Amino acid sequence: MLNFLLILLFILFALFRTPLFAVISAIAILAFVSTQTDLSAIIIEMLRLANTSTLIAIPLFTFAGYILAESNTPKRLVNLTNALFGWMPGGLAIVVLVSCAIFTAFTGASGITIVALGGLVFPALIKGNYSEKFSLGLVTTSGSLGLLFPPSLPLILYAFVAQVDIDKLFIAGIVPGILLIFLLSLYSTLKNYKVVQRQKFSFQNLWRATIDAIWEIPLPFLIIGGIYAGLFTVIEASAITAVYVLIVEFFIYRDLKLKKDLPRIIKESMMLVGGILIILASALGLTSYLIDAQIPMKIFELIQTYITNKYTFLLLLNIFLLIVGMLMDIFSAIIVVVPIITPIALKFGVDPIHLGIIFLTNLEIGYLTPPVGLNLFISSFRFEKPIIKIYLATLPFILILFIALLLITYIPEISLFLVKR
Amino acid sequence: MKLLTLIDDLLAKIETVILILLLSLMVIVGFAQVLLRNLFETGLPWADPMLRYTVLWLAFLGASLATRENRHINIDVLTRYLSPKLKKLISIITNIFALSVCLILLKSSIDFIKMEIEFPREIFLGIQNWILEMIIPIGFSLISLRFTVNIVKIIFIKNII
Repeated sequence: MLNFLLILLFILFALFRTPLFAVISAIAILAFVSTQTDLSAIIIEMLRLANTSTLIAIPLFTFAGYILAESNTPKRLVNLTNALFGWMPGGLAIVVLVSCAIFTAFTGASGITIVALGGLVFPALIKGNYSEKFSLGLVTTSGSLGLLFPPSLPLILYAFVAQVDIDKLFIAGIVPGILLIFLLSLYSTLKNYKVVQRQKFSFQNLWRATIDAIWEIPLPFLIIGGIYAGLFTVIEASAITAVYVLIVEFFIYRDLKLKKDLPRIIKESMMLVGGILIILASALGLTSYLIDAQIPMKIFELIQTYITNKYTFLLLLNIFLLIVGMLMDIFSAIIVVVPIITPIALKFGVDPIHLGIIFLTNLEIGYLTPPVGLNLFISSFRFEKPIIKIYLATLPFILILFIALLLITYIPEISLFLVKR
Repeated sequence: MKLLTLIDDLLAKIETVILILLLSLMVIVGFAQVLLRNLFETGLPWADPMLRYTVLWLAFLGASLATRENRHINIDVLTRYLSPKLKKLISIITNIFALSVCLILLKSSIDFIKMEIEFPREIFLGIQNWILEMIIPIGFSLISLRFTVNIVKIIFIKNII
């Protein structure tokens, strides 16, 4: 009883901005003390950070992502996608969706996209005659789009926590990710093709934008193609990406200066890495306790008395994950919830790779779910608009994403057919 | 107070330098490993354990700096509805809570290292396990120090939350 009250107190602390790693550690310490386990067991679990190679990819990709975010890549990316898709009806909206998705895949969906790209594309949308409401909704939605694409940080983290093959997960996210963009593009086109002026397709523009971004264009193909073709592993891809991006941005484009920018970028990116990994470290202790106490099995038995059907379970899972995604940031959500859910979902016969994609799609939508989804606040702050306005603007986009979520949840082949090949 | 910030700043500089060195090392070794494997079909046997332990070091040093700059991941749903005074009070309480948790973890990690010293084994290039694991107690000391600095600052400086 006392333990229960203490846990409630810890969770209350969490809601008042206590660093999550401290809250999770506190619960773990409590659990270990109450079962009279020596506390150094928590430290032994923390050491698992150094036991698997998967995590090597996290600092390397994050570092590369921060370099890209700090350089002029966002501008070149928008120019290029604009030259490619700008001529289509509702083209500028598609430009926003595609460029934000690519950018998020590289920077890991921590709100950077809205800050870095939002300021670039939002004025362009307004100028292109898109309504303010639509533009706000579009940019807010795009802020977390793309985290299903490699090499996004949430994918790597999920692979580590759920212990699934990261190479497979990287491939599995591609089609569902494209589906999300496709449905949102379709909606944007249907809604806007009458209102907005279309720009003409210009081969000259395309040529110029391509030449401008010629060093960055190979990057996604290098990563996805290299892994898909089995040329190298995800960890090797992370080392290649870091070196490639470093050379391109510092020595070829010279957008950044070694002395002035590099130390700052390293520090900034490693603070994010440290923030994520310390939560992971503290959660490893708690998770080992939960597994030892067979908590997932007990939850499974409890659920099973009400639900025996895989499809009802998946629906319930979606609702649960949307709430989690709304309350927590994506990294802590993966770290805390995945170890509990995975064994239960396996019992219901859900494929672990498919489960990962369902998970991440939900958390992606959770970013936008009122009242407390993170992107809503970032957007409200960035564009200086009242939060209620952002809620209303985002609503139609959330509905589209729900349709995509249902498709992804109930048609496993969308995620799995490339993997099984 | 002045002394405290002086130490804090100095440590931050040292941490940043180590971070830069470690990440550079990681990029270079990681890339060399790719080249060796693909072009010459060999590899450095010590590279993988080195990279894995570097992740551990980066994690704790990064977390320490994140504590210093109040950049830890948290859930911010209730604080925005509070008055500034109440915010300050709650902030002091949560920081003390986080500090106590870190001190407990610091104590357990020291116990753990003591055990490891008794059973040393080589991880790579003659470096023993407990040396590599020392970053855990070092990390928790640094993080505890940062929470202490935070608490002192919140109490004594007016417009800080």
